[in-house]
Amino acid sequence: MEATPKVEFLGLTFDVTVIAGSLFTAALVLLITILGTRGRAMRPGKFQNFVEMVLEFIRGVNNMSFDSKKAERYIGFSLTLFLFIFIANQLGVLLMISAKVDDPIPWLGLTKEVLESSHDEVAFFKSPTADINVAIALALAITLYAHFMGMRKNIKGYLSHYVKPYFWMLPLHLIDELAKPATHAMRLWANIFAGEVLIVILLGFAKPLITGAPLLVWIAFSLFVGTIQAYIFTVLATVYISQKISDEH
Amino acid sequence: MELGILAGGIMIGLAALAAGIGNGILFSRYLEGITRQPEAQSRLFGQAMITLGLVEALPIIAIAFGILLLFRVIGV
Repeated sequence: MEATPKVEFLGLTFDVTVIAGSLFTAALVLLITILGTRGRAMRPGKFQNFVEMVLEFIRGVNNMSFDSKKAERYIGFSLTLFLFIFIANQLGVLLMISAKVDDPIPWLGLTKEVLESSHDEVAFFKSPTADINVAIALALAITLYAHFMGMRKNIKGYLSHYVKPYFWMLPLHLIDELAKPATHAMRLWANIFAGEVLIVILLGFAKPLITGAPLLVWIAFSLFVGTIQAYIFTVLATVYISQKISDEH
Repeated sequence: MELGILAGGIMIGLAALAAGIGNGILFSRYLEGITRQPEAQSRLFGQAMITLGLVEALPIIAIAFGILLLFRVIGV
């Protein structure tokens, strides 16, 4: 498996590919949304049409889990989440830069031992979502927000929800609340990570006649998986939030 | 042979088996559904895709950890 350049700053280790990848993704999302909403016309052009289609799609996602008033309020949240994860997932498939590094580069954290363990393969640009820290950060932020909104709405109802319908169900509820962010994060990370590793392995074989066709098939499948995972992550985020703020509690 | 590599291979194999069974059941039911009611296809497709993501989650997590074991990122 390929190594990544890392930088030490204030005693923390930062992965350069994650920072560069997330910044690039954020810039791309900003560019798409600004260009898509600039100069709106009654008779939309091709690009505006596309952005409106994405917006309608996200509106459908929100309407599945929220009631209609809340669905409008959370549309910016869902759209941001979907676009960020969607573009981040495709980066590693389409724009992955991985190279063989022979000489150690100590200030990027590529020491001799690191290069040896990764067979000199170094990825300089890949999906930020293929790093588990990014996925956990996203899932944890959503979970904290959902719990916060649940408490703010009705703290008594929020707390009593843990012991309903019987008191001995408390451990089950706690496991449920812990498993949600864990699987939410690992589902996204594992899909993108496994896809990228297989691409690197197929690229690593120096026999393009044998691995060419499987590589093309796998790249197409990775594009599909990246889209599906972005969709599922967004749907589950809206479901988790709506579970906490819905009126049934 | 290192046990970690063996463990990684077994994990990936079992995950592929489980994902195959799960997806087989899921999509056979999906096809049954759209054969009975072809007009419901667009709605069923979205639901089937969400369920696909839920079904795939644990096998793909097992595969990711299997890869980490195979490449000795995490050791046993």
